[in-house]
Amino acid sequence: MGYLLKTNWWKWLCIILLTYTIIGGLLLPVPKLPILNETIRVLHFHVPMWFGMILVFTGSVIYAIKYLKTNNSKFDIYSSQLASTGIAFGVLGIVTGMAWAAYTWGEPWSNDPKQNASAVSLLIYLAYFVLRNSLNDEQQRSRISAVYNIFAFTLMIPLLFILPRMTDSLHPGNGGNPALSAVDLDNDLRKVFYTAVIGWTLLGYWIASINIRLSLAHQKIENAS
Amino acid sequence: MIELIKKDLIVDWRQQNPISGILLYLASTIFTSYMAFRGFISIEVWNALFWIIILFTAITAISKSFMQEERRSLYYFFLVKPQLLITAKLIYSFIYLLALAILSLLIFSILFGNPISDYLFFVFNLGLGCLGLSSAFTMISAISFKASNRSIIMAVLGFPVIIPVLILSISNSAKILDQTIWAQVQGNMLTLVSIDVIIIALAFILFPFIWKS
Repeated sequence: MGYLLKTNWWKWLCIILLTYTIIGGLLLPVPKLPILNETIRVLHFHVPMWFGMILVFTGSVIYAIKYLKTNNSKFDIYSSQLASTGIAFGVLGIVTGMAWAAYTWGEPWSNDPKQNASAVSLLIYLAYFVLRNSLNDEQQRSRISAVYNIFAFTLMIPLLFILPRMTDSLHPGNGGNPALSAVDLDNDLRKVFYTAVIGWTLLGYWIASINIRLSLAHQKIENAS
Repeated sequence: MIELIKKDLIVDWRQQNPISGILLYLASTIFTSYMAFRGFISIEVWNALFWIIILFTAITAISKSFMQEERRSLYYFFLVKPQLLITAKLIYSFIYLLALAILSLLIFSILFGNPISDYLFFVFNLGLGCLGLSSAFTMISAISFKASNRSIIMAVLGFPVIIPVLILSISNSAKILDQTIWAQVQGNMLTLVSIDVIIIALAFILFPFIWKS
């Protein structure tokens, strides 16, 4: 993050990749499949949101660990701002997923294990911010919320990656439905999909870096006055 | 460490207020749900209701685990290592919750009837579930110890974290009540064990950081 704050070549990369994703994702040919039809294009917008969310949350946890090691309040700001960006991505992921499900599964929310798991992971990080607001002492807040961040993230992993695979689900990738494995993904889709994942994740870090700069500036003003 | 566990036990025994409070809480919740669910209780409903009551009992019983230590925390800070303290707390809250769970199983079987055929298996799964619940809530209780509105924070932080344990133990015990053989729940059981281990390991690593502040 410190490096990303200093350079900006990756912002240009992000703009290029996302332009390609949006144009290519909406216009390039896609495989014709029953039921899915053209809704398969949601792959470039829905799935990268979850990839982005997980990667941004991972960044947040890494900085929480760094904070506990060094006690440097800079890392706490990194961690909390990355987490809030992750929430934004998660909400977009749920909304795009529900819109897609409304057309293909017939209803926006069908008590599917993956939907429930994603809703719970959002609750975890919303709780993280509730916890931050209820602690008054600054150092205590940073330390305790870092601990909760690590604790909750680790328990989120079985929730997102193990439990949905143990029960049947309508979601692609479960119960014999095709998904992201090398065999299932068509070459036309793959050309756009990988750039979409990288592009949206970079966008997430970009948004976070602006927020981080802002809060670092706030902190400086507070310390000066 | 044994002294610490003993101390918790003695404190609870002497005060009696919290213990009798939680027992009454348990009895009245079960009785209320008996009134509400009378007449249409199938095995699935029995199972789900039982675990929900265990969940709420756990959050009420264990939330006090660190709250009552407010005055003593300074002594501990100088006297015992944080690892020792968290181990004692984990063991104590596990025993406490298991005792409550078995008691509620008793009241449940009196009021709702008893669909269990394989007691050993059912109690084993109950134990694993209680281990996960008690250790996660002990950790959450330590986290919310310093927060301003504790009881709400406790529920908000605790429920999403506990869901993997809860899902696994509910589905396991539903299968056990449906007279499944060991091989069919083996995978789920192993996952539950590993989640328990993860929770305990995390509590062990992260607790010293909370304690220092």
